[in-house]
Amino acid sequence: MPIIVARFEAAGPLITSVFGVSLPRFNALTKASLTVPDLQPADALIDTGASGTCVDPEVIKALGLTPTGTVPVRTPSTGQGTHPAEQYDVRLIIPGPPGEAPLIIQALPVLCMELKVQGFRALIGRDVLSRCQLTYFGASTLVTLAY
Amino acid sequence: MEIPLEKELETYKRLLPTLLEQEGKFALIHDSELTGVYGDYEKALNEGYEKFGTTPFLVKRINAVEQVLNFTRDVATCLS
Repeated sequence: MPIIVARFEAAGPLITSVFGVSLPRFNALTKASLTVPDLQPADALIDTGASGTCVDPEVIKALGLTPTGTVPVRTPSTGQGTHPAEQYDVRLIIPGPPGEAPLIIQALPVLCMELKVQGFRALIGRDVLSRCQLTYFGASTLVTLAY
Repeated sequence: MEIPLEKELETYKRLLPTLLEQEGKFALIHDSELTGVYGDYEKALNEGYEKFGTTPFLVKRINAVEQVLNFTRDVATCLS
């Protein structure tokens, strides 16, 4: 089971992640002889308080994505209410330790959120964490993610 | 201003009572038509891109009660 050690910074535990178009979109672009956008690296905050994974609009724009879903979201600003958010399908790659396989999710719905101002371009939510084992060694402020 | 997937969402809401037997699966909707219901997200996407290419379509998990995504961090959504 590969284990990644997160970098612990002011915002919380960060890992390197890479986003690309989802495999179904990749196949469609290739079939239509269209250019497949380059993979987008993004520092990602591990956030157990997030139901879903999110990326910054910069990433969505660079991948040339259009929404394929919408879902209601609740944040501290919405109070008890919700507001609609668009979902985009992406491929998520979390590089593994040297010599180990990465974690790859070929089709993952993500939300577009303004994150860059907070110092990272993605939030890894519980939809992805549910496929992993997350450990927080509090005394040494060490966070590991095994998959 | 045109809202992305507005027509598809209206179609989903209109058809929801008939889709509830397949709760938990994923509906693929293009314009005002249900194209199919699939067992997982990737299959629905595959079919969507296969049939409609990069033109808009909606993949929506069928739920009697709309699932809400919660965020404890204050994040602002961006709408296209």
